[in-house]
Amino acid sequence: MKYSRFLLLVCFAAGLIGQTGRDAYRQAYDVWQQVQTNLERDAGTGGAAQVAQADKSGAAAASFEATRVAHLKSSAQDAEQRRRLLQNPATSFSPGLTPPAVEALAASELQTVTRTIARFATDKDRAIQQLRQSLERERVALAALSDTIQARQKTSEATAEATAALEQARIKTAAAFGDQASQLSQAITEMEIEGAAWADYYEKLAQAIQVANAPPPPVNITTNVPTAAPRNDSTPRVPLARYVGAWTYPTVNGMSHGAQPESVELEVHEQNGHADGSLLGRFKLSPGGTADPVVRFTFQGDFGATPTQKFTLVTSDGTPGILELIPGPAFNLLEVNFQTDPRTNKIRSGNFILVKK
Amino acid sequence: MERSSGVLICAALFACTAAHAQDPSPQNAVPDLAALEQTVQKRHAEWESLAKDLSERMSRILPCDPRALAAVNEVSRASEARLAALADYFRAVSGKAFNETAAVRVLLNAEEKRAVEAGLERNDAGQEQTAAETQSDALAQSVKQRTSLEESKKLLDQIVAMIRQRAAAAEQHAGAADSAVPLLRDLVAKFEARDAALREEFAASEAERARWNGYYAARRTRAQLECTITQIGASQSKGKQ
Repeated sequence: MKYSRFLLLVCFAAGLIGQTGRDAYRQAYDVWQQVQTNLERDAGTGGAAQVAQADKSGAAAASFEATRVAHLKSSAQDAEQRRRLLQNPATSFSPGLTPPAVEALAASELQTVTRTIARFATDKDRAIQQLRQSLERERVALAALSDTIQARQKTSEATAEATAALEQARIKTAAAFGDQASQLSQAITEMEIEGAAWADYYEKLAQAIQVANAPPPPVNITTNVPTAAPRNDSTPRVPLARYVGAWTYPTVNGMSHGAQPESVELEVHEQNGHADGSLLGRFKLSPGGTADPVVRFTFQGDFGATPTQKFTLVTSDGTPGILELIPGPAFNLLEVNFQTDPRTNKIRSGNFILVKK
Repeated sequence: MERSSGVLICAALFACTAAHAQDPSPQNAVPDLAALEQTVQKRHAEWESLAKDLSERMSRILPCDPRALAAVNEVSRASEARLAALADYFRAVSGKAFNETAAVRVLLNAEEKRAVEAGLERNDAGQEQTAAETQSDALAQSVKQRTSLEESKKLLDQIVAMIRQRAAAAEQHAGAADSAVPLLRDLVAKFEARDAALREEFAASEAERARWNGYYAARRTRAQLECTITQIGASQSKGKQ
């Protein structure tokens, strides 16, 4: 169950950070900046409203950091692909395929033919003159061949030079892209550290405002104990804003384990460390299923010091059960896990992630 | 948005390459340069062994001996086979080379867009730094009213330092992206120069091929003429007798 829950959370978070473009992280940044406007200025005098604002700012910062990291990872992958493309040497023509022996052979034939022509130069015999003319045509063909061999050799040299220059440029460029990939990799690490620091900061800020607004402890006139009020042990270490409020099951990309919700609406209220609220859900039934798809219950209990809050629930038909609320991977996500006593034709358990309204 | 289109182009290119690699049809088969090179070497050795002593062999054969013309034809065929194998190899090398050049052109296009985006990201980082510094200044004022905020202030100052570092890195990254563009432009020019050189070499090789064929045609003509002259000479001698 724990493993499936973990998968549920990871998949949901991955869905939220699926966007990788610059537009996505800029949008998330703008949202964050709007949410946190004047928070630090008001932190000196503010109260519950600023605590809630700090929680929302933390969620918005987390969303920004996640989209920014996703963008950087995408950029790093692109840089790596570019580096790989430039890593292989460029195609070149194998130099051994047109050896110098070719030219030597043509030159040797040319010399032989030229010598033979010279031998028949003064012969007046008509047949020999015909043969000499034929040899002359052959000599012309060989001379032209020698010229083209030399011309081709020059083009081979030009290709070799062009390929060598290309290789130098390729190695230089590949090195530059290698630097880019490593810079981006470092930027991802730094961004992840920064994201964790923002989360820590907003939590500390919310706690600091809460501490300042906590009712003063009873004054003990016989001792000189410090007057700063520690946070109540029963108060959850996770900010209450992670549980309190109106939550809904997303219409797209909803994540659940077991019975799959069509819709869920959850209300969580808090007063003096005591929680109460209600849940109304409609679940998808398997084909041919005859169970009642609607689940409706109220719940109450005290907030505990652990992240997972457990409350007792009572369904609309009076069946008791247990409700667990677990903070999600982002500030605006809440995992819900409920279980009721067995009931005929009724859904008795559910596990899903809700988004804050 | 521009970046997304670049990524799409790259993805399409990779998809095409993958599809190309999987397509077994002959026209899409990836040429095996090593095999083609081996064929060229083999054909060259065959031709060279016949061509280097052609004159010597011909000198030992009577002009009208059928072996004389056959010897010329044989070396001519070997020459054409060698040059045809070389042309096949050239075509394969050129095809591969031109594909590389096309890929680097796509890379340049994507990098130009990325450099623009890196500039925007540098500005983003600068804006984030300013915003965080403003937050820090505001919190410094609040700390004067609430000492409980001191720890938060320390954390925020650490974050501001991180963002300053990130902004400096973004600056460096944008600079690197800017400098990569001229490097790639130069590289594309070098690829194009290599391609042009390959085209010229191929054209020169084809010209040489035509000249070799011309030479062997002339050599064949001489062999036929030698036979004709010999036959005329023999018939004239018989007539005189």
